[in-house]
Amino acid sequence: MRILVVGGGTAGTIVANNLARRLSAETRRGKARITMLSASDRHMYQPGLLYVAFGQMTPDQLYRDQASLLESNIDFHVDPVTEFMLDQNKVRTQSGKVHEYDTLVIATGSRMVPEEIPGMNEGAEFFYTEASAVKLYKKLREFQGGKVAVAVGVPHKCPIAPVEVMFSLHDYFKARGIRDKVHLKYHYPINRIHTIENVAKWAKPEFDRIGVEYETLFNIKEVDGKNKLLKSEEGTEYQYDLLIVIPQHRGMEVVEQNKLGPGGWIPTDRYSLKMNGHDNVYVVGDTTNLPVSKTGSAAHFQAEVIAENIASIVKVGEPVRDYDGKVYCFIEAGHDRATYAMFNYQNPPDLKPPSKPMHWFKLSYNQMYWTSVRGLL
Amino acid sequence: MTSPNETTAPVGDADFQRLAEFAQLVTSAQDALSDDMVNRIASTFSEGITMLDRLTRNEGLTHLLRELDRVENQQFLIALSNAFTQASRELASSPPAAGGITGLLRLMSDPGVQEGMRLMAIVGAHMSNSLREVHRRGL
Repeated sequence: MRILVVGGGTAGTIVANNLARRLSAETRRGKARITMLSASDRHMYQPGLLYVAFGQMTPDQLYRDQASLLESNIDFHVDPVTEFMLDQNKVRTQSGKVHEYDTLVIATGSRMVPEEIPGMNEGAEFFYTEASAVKLYKKLREFQGGKVAVAVGVPHKCPIAPVEVMFSLHDYFKARGIRDKVHLKYHYPINRIHTIENVAKWAKPEFDRIGVEYETLFNIKEVDGKNKLLKSEEGTEYQYDLLIVIPQHRGMEVVEQNKLGPGGWIPTDRYSLKMNGHDNVYVVGDTTNLPVSKTGSAAHFQAEVIAENIASIVKVGEPVRDYDGKVYCFIEAGHDRATYAMFNYQNPPDLKPPSKPMHWFKLSYNQMYWTSVRGLL
Repeated sequence: MTSPNETTAPVGDADFQRLAEFAQLVTSAQDALSDDMVNRIASTFSEGITMLDRLTRNEGLTHLLRELDRVENQQFLIALSNAFTQASRELASSPPAAGGITGLLRLMSDPGVQEGMRLMAIVGAHMSNSLREVHRRGL
């Protein structure tokens, strides 16, 4: 069986490595072949960008060579796909090469699109790319006091990021001894402070405790960088000195250009993780249109299901597992404390009080990530 | 026969004392460790477990370890390490080679060198047979 994995992020790498382990005998005998096509020869630990923005990590700590993370029986090419020919079981790459497959895994990920909101690119700071995280760090270093606004676009990657930013800002300014000179205001697009109800219930008293003002039902309409004004669709405005935005995201351009799904999100069966209408195409991670968080952990749990099912099809002809919607998110809660949210399609998260050991667990995970993408954890 | 109450071991002051000491140990570890230390420990563990995974799934290495269980192979290793030590000492104390075909003939006429060449030839013959077999089976 020719298995083609498109995308070398968290989801694609775990699928490929997990498959390579499960099908090591088959790849040796030539009964299975695993190929990965990626846009980059480097792999980034994306959650680390928040640490870069607050000076707790340097950018070089976020990267590893992609080839070093892959099992030796994976045929890896830095040659991104430009065209999907799903009816012919083929893809065409940037170099013009055509790859045929029997099973395709699409793991192309997502991208922020701040340019879709007028003025956002010019007037706001982000931390979803290396350059923007470093720029935000420099802005924070220069900041001596005033109003810091945080606003959230939808949909976006990592649902916990908005609340984590607030805790990180509080801690950062407190450590610099200027917390009393900084006013923190949080803007969220729905009528509570987080999309996950139990996270909202937990975060509200925490925000009250650290003195964060919040405004809900605030959907970003425009950023007036010249006058430092943040405007909402609901007609409200906020004057800021520093604006940090969690920008709205879309799936990758190649998905939109090939008309695989609106907004770049591919319609995916929530249990089998197959692309709707295509029995030999799986979708994993941010690329799906599933109603679960766009996080590394969701990608990880989905990747395991897909790899196990493809391996099982190779070995016995049938899949063996369904994805249950599992997501596990660490939540850094400030003061060296953290908690976590675990949930699935059936069960909402039940947040425990933050603790230092959980903070250490999160710190440890930042290192253990590399073990995780290798398919070991 | 014992009543249900009697089956439960009583918790005495000594047990509480031990519990308090353990809690103190945990608190002390919390105070002593820094985020940097946790990062380093986790990083070492992560890299260590990755290396261990590679080693345990390396067919060549596991085969080598199995072969090393044989006494004759352990003796071979001992002989090999002794040979390295002796060769190193001998090389340090002998004059540089004069060169030329005469020097080479003199070296080749040494029975020890001939024994060594025979050993290398036998190992080479077995190795090429083994390599051919590995490729034939597609392993």
